[in-house]
Amino acid sequence: MLTVADLAKGYPGAGRPLFCDLALAVAAGEVVALVGESGIGKSTLLNCIAGLETADSGSIRIGRQALDIVRLDETARAALRARSIGFVFQAFHVLPTLTVAQNIAVPLLLGSVPGGEHAPRIQTLLERVGLAGFGPRWPASLSGGELQRVAIARALVHRPALILADEPTGNLDPRTATEVLSLLLERVREQHAGALIVTHSQHVAQCCDRVLTLTPDGLE
Amino acid sequence: MRRRTFLSTPLLLPTLVTAADEPVAYPAVRPGVKLVFPRDHGAHPDYRTEWWYVTGALDSPRRDIGFQLTFFRSRPGTAEALPSPIAARQIVFAHAALTIPGDRLHHAERVARANLGASFSRLDCDLGIGAWRMTREDRSTGEVFLLQMQSPQFSYDFTLKPSQPLLLQGDGGYSRKGRSPELASYYVSWPQLQVDGVLVVDGRRQAVSGRAWFDHEWSTAVLGDGAVGWDWLGINLADGGALMAFRLRDARGATVFADAAWRDAAGRVRQFGAAEVSFTPLRTWLSARSGASYPVQMEVRFGEHTLRTLPVLDDQELSTSRPAEVVYWEGLVKVDGTLKGRGYLELTGYAGRLQL
Amino acid sequence: MTLLAWWLVRAQFRTRRAATLLSMLAIALGVALGYAIHLINDAALTDFNRALKTVQGDPDAVLAARDSAGSVPLATVNAIARDPAVLVIAPVIDTRVRIDRWRTPFRLIGIDVFSAAAVMPRLLPRRDERAATKSIFDGGVYASPALLDKLGLQAGATVTLVRGEHEWLTTIAGDLPAVGPDELLLVADIAWVQDRFGPVGAVSEGRVRLAPNTDLASWRAALAARLPAGLLIRAADDDSTRVANVSRAYRVNLNVLALVALLTGAFLVFATQLTAVAQRSAQFALLGVLGLSPRMRLLQVVLEGLAIGVPGALLGLGLGYLLAIAFTRLLGGDLGGGYFLASAPLIVPELAPTLGFLALGCAASLAGALYPAYLNRRQPLAQALKMGFSQNPRAGGAIRTIRTTRPRGLRPLLLVLVALGLAQLPPIVELPLGGYAAIALVLVIGVGSAPLVTQCVFGWFAGCRLPAAQQIAVQNVAQAPLMAQVAASGLIVSFALTASMVIMVSSFRVAVDHWLDHVLPAPLYLRSKGTPLPQELLAALTRPEAPFARVERTAYGSLTIDSQRPNVALLVREIERSNPAARLPFTGPVLASPADTVVVWISEPMHEIYRITPGQTLRLPLLGSEVKVFVGGVWRDYSRQFGAVVISRDDFLRLGGVFQPTDLALWPLPGQEALAGDWLAPWTSGYGLELADSAEIRRLSLSIFDRSFAVTYALEAAAMLIGLFGLAVTLAASVWLRARELATLAALGFDRRMLSRAVMLEGALIAAVGLLIGLACGVAIGAVLTYVVNPQAFHWRMPLEIPWSTVLAGAVLTLLAAVVASHYAARQTTRLTVAQVLASAQ
Repeated sequence: MLTVADLAKGYPGAGRPLFCDLALAVAAGEVVALVGESGIGKSTLLNCIAGLETADSGSIRIGRQALDIVRLDETARAALRARSIGFVFQAFHVLPTLTVAQNIAVPLLLGSVPGGEHAPRIQTLLERVGLAGFGPRWPASLSGGELQRVAIARALVHRPALILADEPTGNLDPRTATEVLSLLLERVREQHAGALIVTHSQHVAQCCDRVLTLTPDGLE
Repeated sequence: MRRRTFLSTPLLLPTLVTAADEPVAYPAVRPGVKLVFPRDHGAHPDYRTEWWYVTGALDSPRRDIGFQLTFFRSRPGTAEALPSPIAARQIVFAHAALTIPGDRLHHAERVARANLGASFSRLDCDLGIGAWRMTREDRSTGEVFLLQMQSPQFSYDFTLKPSQPLLLQGDGGYSRKGRSPELASYYVSWPQLQVDGVLVVDGRRQAVSGRAWFDHEWSTAVLGDGAVGWDWLGINLADGGALMAFRLRDARGATVFADAAWRDAAGRVRQFGAAEVSFTPLRTWLSARSGASYPVQMEVRFGEHTLRTLPVLDDQELSTSRPAEVVYWEGLVKVDGTLKGRGYLELTGYAGRLQL
Repeated sequence: MTLLAWWLVRAQFRTRRAATLLSMLAIALGVALGYAIHLINDAALTDFNRALKTVQGDPDAVLAARDSAGSVPLATVNAIARDPAVLVIAPVIDTRVRIDRWRTPFRLIGIDVFSAAAVMPRLLPRRDERAATKSIFDGGVYASPALLDKLGLQAGATVTLVRGEHEWLTTIAGDLPAVGPDELLLVADIAWVQDRFGPVGAVSEGRVRLAPNTDLASWRAALAARLPAGLLIRAADDDSTRVANVSRAYRVNLNVLALVALLTGAFLVFATQLTAVAQRSAQFALLGVLGLSPRMRLLQVVLEGLAIGVPGALLGLGLGYLLAIAFTRLLGGDLGGGYFLASAPLIVPELAPTLGFLALGCAASLAGALYPAYLNRRQPLAQALKMGFSQNPRAGGAIRTIRTTRPRGLRPLLLVLVALGLAQLPPIVELPLGGYAAIALVLVIGVGSAPLVTQCVFGWFAGCRLPAAQQIAVQNVAQAPLMAQVAASGLIVSFALTASMVIMVSSFRVAVDHWLDHVLPAPLYLRSKGTPLPQELLAALTRPEAPFARVERTAYGSLTIDSQRPNVALLVREIERSNPAARLPFTGPVLASPADTVVVWISEPMHEIYRITPGQTLRLPLLGSEVKVFVGGVWRDYSRQFGAVVISRDDFLRLGGVFQPTDLALWPLPGQEALAGDWLAPWTSGYGLELADSAEIRRLSLSIFDRSFAVTYALEAAAMLIGLFGLAVTLAASVWLRARELATLAALGFDRRMLSRAVMLEGALIAAVGLLIGLACGVAIGAVLTYVVNPQAFHWRMPLEIPWSTVLAGAVLTLLAAVVASHYAARQTTRLTVAQVLASAQ
């Protein structure tokens, strides 16, 4: 689902690059945890994979498409994200001005999924993440755990090839975190997507199929 | 006694000129007045009405094109007390028409008061409204009449050269129009005028030649004896003779008064009284515009002669729009019978009754 | 995709109701004012043209005298009538008469019904059937329905028409059925009018209808070559050009003011959208991460701008229509400008201009939204998602660039030079376009210099010892000049425009006031409106028992110098050739004229319009011929915008003119001031004359002046309100953006009042900067208006007078309003609980 090869990225004036000759692959249905010290470049790697930052060299291919996100322009990257990537963030990032159902519908609208499928898909996903009946509610009335469930539903609704998650449980209490995490893993496996989860949590890492540690010398 | 617009002068401006505030002492038409020319070609502004009237038929650029140019002078009796040269004491109307056989009748008109757009002379025929003119001129080759008129559709500039002497109608120019002696006019005709000049139709200039008939008539009296209209004709005969005939009709169509004058090719003039003249309609033409039915083919008898008229175009109905509407038929006809010729036939009082 | 766009627009409207509504209102206001001015002017011009059409008909050309005292000889009319290209020439005598004892004269038109029927059919009379009345040829007079109504007369009534010495006892014979419902006219036969009132052997005008295939230009040129010098031939389009010229400058000025309102509307959209983009940077970043393309992020903001602009413009059209109706009812078709008749014209909106103003409103909102949209497009997604809005996205990482813009003094200086250059330009197509461009540039310079001044002022404040909260607020602004600049620039624009208007109007008013002193030397003034004063009165004034020490007579007329321009006034005055400065306020030196030449003194507008200078010898179309005159000087005239010429009575008589005074300046004998009015009373009531003392005239003149600037004042108020709205909106947004920071401060122990005071100080400081720059720009623009726009548009000059007290009072009031606005902004923010703010990620 994700193939990264020979990836290099550095910032001008920062001395040595953050990483070089980086390679990693995530298979369909596989959940990979990415751990490492703060500032080591986990988020940058994630941003490069999502096309939010541009790698200096190397290639990143997502899903069955042979497109290399490193070589795409901004618009094509946005289109690729809309089609093939689902995001879950530590800070939930649910649009406060849209209802729960509308929030979940956003990737469908961006990814040109036929309009007739929207309502049933959202309905099903809301049930799967345990938020049946939450559709018309406003995000302001939801708890943190509920918000992150909305975010998970949004990340999965357009059936992306790859899920990128950045500390998905970082803002949640341990009990809710466990619930939300298992929900995320369950759904990813169910949809045969690949997932790359950046985390500091041992617990989260343990729940994943594989753990990669980013060090100054590369991935381990 | 034609000259419809003229007769109806008082109704030309129905809301403006109904009647003079004070009765005007118009001079009466009396017999025995010796007419002197060229002075009597000029205007007689004291009389109520006067007209100069030229009708003709062209032979080139094509046969049987009819034309007509008329100047009317009216003294309606208004502004008689206002000592201003531009007071509306004398109104001049002019009317021009052109009949093209197989095509249609064009016409144009103008109106103005004397000294304000219009002019006339008391001394000779010298009439004008704007650039429309009718003037007499003495030239080394003899006297001529000059006609000029312009309109968006047609214009002409003709020189008329007499080939015969004047014809004084009636008794030395005193022409009766009814049983009563006051119903009369001074009436001078000049038939068989040679026409030369230029005709412009729809922007095309053409040299022309033809024959015309000049009438000049002035009077004070209006229609009498219950007459509602008249039939008139003036024909240049092919043999060089000339015929003028008219009748006045009452409301039932019966003849109230009639008269005719025939000058034969040798120049002998014969007058025919009311009893000797008759008009009999042979065919009528119905105007879709006005609904009037005109006897365009007429049998005219005078003395031993019987003539039939044949219009070159049925639709020679005219309507003067300004200042008031008067509808009548006036056009070029060919004449066949014991005498042959061409000239103008005028039929008035068919489109509703002419009010006086 | 469209569904998402619609959701976002709706969400934006729901969450920022006040700001959105205000922006909408501002756009609506700009559109409304522009549209209203357009509608009113269009209606007034249509009205004016219709009245002209009624009286003048629809001729191809008009033959007239250049001198209002002149006339067209009948011989010339008849000669032109004989031209084969002329279908008809309709002679007309156009004069003014008083009816019985009515004070105001009415228009009497002598026509020839035969020719009028072809050219001016609407003037044709209808004789009343019931009343036994005279025909028009017998001296019957016909009145328009409105006049019959006004006079309370019916057909059959006997009336006396009076013009100067001449009287005409006649009867109303009927009415004028085709004349418009507002028009006050009498029609009679031309011969009668000429016989009673003149001109002898001549008429006022001949209106020509040409044969259809005539080439007007060549015909006119050929005729003009043959015409006597005192006559001119005008084409029909000259008349419409002249009518349009009458109010053109005034109209353009009003439209520029409307444009200003629209500009401020655009600015408010800018402020709203910029803050909206800033507030929602995280949301937009999220959408970007989820796959919203950069183009769509740009378009979304533009769309939101349009969503404000379209309803705003629509609202503006409706409002403009209502305004137009209200204004015409209150002030008449010229908005108090005094150019047209005082009747309220009918407002008829037309499609094309209506769509034009709709488009203008949308364009304004679009313009306002473009930069915010661009900024939104440029936001770095990953950072914006985490950290929020970046003012300078190109700088890559930094969220708030700290003094990245080095003060660049050279560019503003260059712009100032360009503005100065523009102000020197001569008028383009007779409009002060250079001046307007200079004004726009001054505003650009003002807005552009805002960051510089903001950094200086706030930087200086930041260096001062201040309570901690204030210190933090001040520093914040000093380091984030964009928001401060946005807030300040609204005030800069609106205050500059308002101040400049106040300065211009005040300068003008002071100048008019001085001028009135000079042109009203006598205590009493007597005038007859349009008709010459009665000879009896003039004779009585010369008798010893008349209680006047001095009487000066003036005869008014007019001359056509250029048939496409409004006429120039001709004033024949009892003035000393050797000392004209005793009566005329000259702007420059008075030149002594050669003894044997006629000398005239021209007004400033005439000098400007026709480029005539003192010392020049001029050929003036006077008394039926071209007269060589010497231009002795230029005098100030604020009342006749299209120019005036003064000639002394002696010179006028020498040229063979007939002096028929219409106005008198009267100096009562000392001690007999009260008696003077009584002595004149029988004359004023008997002849419908108007007597006024100089104080009254001055009061009236100034009130007319004030009325003509009514719309200007309305626009100023609107501009100020929009500026304040802008300040409030931007301030609220900038405070909101720093909510987390303020909350942190609150958590650290600052109480709500301290925070609120800090925000208010910030608002006051921003406002102060804005007002300071605004004031400077206002003085500059005021000078441009006074020195460039006024002379070029209206052809008169005046010294600059800055009403400091008014301007400063306005500034203080605005400052107070700004503090109130920032108080509102502060309350909005501090209402959120600290915990809430700190808990929410963004």
